[in-house]
Amino acid sequence: MTHFLPFLVTAMNRHSTFMCRNRFSLSPVALVLTVCGSLLFVSGCGKTPAASFRPNMVEAAKQRLKPEQEEQVATILEAMFGTPDNPIAMPETGLDIGKLRLAAGPVHSDIVGRKNGLFREHCSHCHGVTGDGMGPTAAFLNPYPRDYRPGWFKFKSTERADKPTHGDLVTILNNGIYGTSMPSFELLGEAKVDALVEYVKYLSMRGEAELNMMRYFFELDDEDEGKLPETRDFLVEEILLPVAERWQEAEDAVIEVPEMPEVDLAESIAMGKELFYGNKANCVKCHGVTALGDGQANDYDDWNKVVKQWSDEVQSSHEVSTKEMSREEKAEHREYLARADKALAGDALEPRTIQPRNLRQAIYRGGRRPIDFYYRIHAGINGAPMPAAAGTLTPDEIWHVVNYIRSLPYEFDGELGADRSMVARDRL
Amino acid sequence: MLSHTLRRGTLALATLVALPTAASAAEWGDISGRFVYGGDAPVAAKLTIDKDVDVCGKHNLVNEELVIGPNKGVANVVVFVRDRKIDVHPDLKATEPVVLDNLNCRFSPHVVFVQTGQDLIIKNSDPVGHNSNVATLKNPASNTLIPASGETKVSFRSDEAVPAAVTCNIHPWMKGWVVVRDNPYAAVTDEEGNFTIKSLPEGEVELQFWHEKAGYLDSIVINGKKTDVKRGRMDVDVSAKGTDLGEMVLDSSVFK
Repeated sequence: MTHFLPFLVTAMNRHSTFMCRNRFSLSPVALVLTVCGSLLFVSGCGKTPAASFRPNMVEAAKQRLKPEQEEQVATILEAMFGTPDNPIAMPETGLDIGKLRLAAGPVHSDIVGRKNGLFREHCSHCHGVTGDGMGPTAAFLNPYPRDYRPGWFKFKSTERADKPTHGDLVTILNNGIYGTSMPSFELLGEAKVDALVEYVKYLSMRGEAELNMMRYFFELDDEDEGKLPETRDFLVEEILLPVAERWQEAEDAVIEVPEMPEVDLAESIAMGKELFYGNKANCVKCHGVTALGDGQANDYDDWNKVVKQWSDEVQSSHEVSTKEMSREEKAEHREYLARADKALAGDALEPRTIQPRNLRQAIYRGGRRPIDFYYRIHAGINGAPMPAAAGTLTPDEIWHVVNYIRSLPYEFDGELGADRSMVARDRL
Repeated sequence: MLSHTLRRGTLALATLVALPTAASAAEWGDISGRFVYGGDAPVAAKLTIDKDVDVCGKHNLVNEELVIGPNKGVANVVVFVRDRKIDVHPDLKATEPVVLDNLNCRFSPHVVFVQTGQDLIIKNSDPVGHNSNVATLKNPASNTLIPASGETKVSFRSDEAVPAAVTCNIHPWMKGWVVVRDNPYAAVTDEEGNFTIKSLPEGEVELQFWHEKAGYLDSIVINGKKTDVKRGRMDVDVSAKGTDLGEMVLDSSVFK
């Protein structure tokens, strides 16, 4: 960091690791020694560069940021959040630095023999050191690993747009996500899972703060001269708190789930079926008349949509005639396209369409408990096309749909109440 | 849902109370103007309707990305005041909710303007179900199922620097826009390309011009001269007599 933000240094001193504190109090020589020493400890001095966070190249190119603006974002981010080896938890984030330290950094044992570097050991292969869902294995997986940076999470107990609770993410880590490459990490034990969840929240806040900053350049006034104001007020109020507060609010925003109505199960399933195919719940439009998930085949989830829409835009910019442009405009146009192509090739995975869930297979990514179904239908699925039914369906109606969906893999053939069940395999 | 709406409502209310709303300007004036398309108006492409064809297929729907009126007026240009701290005329307090309708398998109006704290009612006048996916950046994005003749209510905590797209995941051709500002000073041009922003405080304000196909309008032909409008921003003097910006021509190349 060539220049840093004075106000944040206090925060860093208070909340950062011993090594990080050294960076601001030792002489340059000692600083070099400390950094070299720590590298030696990891992998030999000078051989492997310290891990670093990758910038959000797609957003930077999209916002047409200048190199010095990208640099400013990186500098502020490092002052606010630290590095992959030395995380910082500013008090406004509400994050626990102890947990973050356990999850961050290279894989190693600390002085009491406790294993550190959990994220890099267990998660970064797929989710990437930055939590951008672009680890080395990401391109080979379907679905792609989650990119935490936009701050959207699918499987949770809160309203659609809300963040997940800490407990929601613990559940995901403990159970894995059935039908995807996400395994269960339950055997790591409570403390380690807890540390990893804290670190996922940290990476997500960092990623969203980065997006906020990159988007903010367009809102600047002329007198700002293309620079974000480096005042504590601005960075905390406009960049950090809008993200951090929503994580804190989530803990008290769990959807209230009323009891399942006391009706005969077969009756409830019949009512659910009517809703599923009817114009009110309209499940049939996407999940298909067969419920095999073949109703809507050409939509994208929000992560892929961002890439898809922008790459279409870049593609059409490639086709714009430069004939009438001045030399300056031409150069600017070429530079933009080169950068956009580079960002799309290096910072994005090939966009894929999203398939509505095949409900005959009994594979439920967000959990198979009745309450998980209730949450999904009530709130929809954030980041996915699935809309929220709350307000449109009454809680009782949601329960009927839940019961119908749970019966789909074994749907009775013929009249309800008949006992000839059908397994998914046969139907397919 | 209820608790959520309540919580959001309370926050929005708190923001409203905290805003400086005192009307202190001595004089007020309107700003008006007209956006005109330079060149031959393109023919809007027909949309491919492949969902609910029996209902949506009979409306001859066309792509509404660029709507040019009969007199070459450019419709759906968004004009808003950038100044954050601006005196608001006492008559302009927003109380009535704004309505965005799912009508004939399109969003009506195509662009809707709503203020922070004001309710946006998204309703469905069609005989088929829709969902309205509002892709806000600063506000939590929402996506609600709206059955035939149903409606849902959305409100916004903070303004949005760029209009937010509204789409329907069931009918992929449907696209509309929501402009969210924290003051009443914004307008959308009609089919004639006309806009008026009423009762602004006298003095200088900074306007910003935006169009969904062009983004910020940074190249406008004013009095026959191609003018660079940096990032679509323009300082304008508001006089109590009213300020008319006259005809502003948008070259066809702006929309490429």
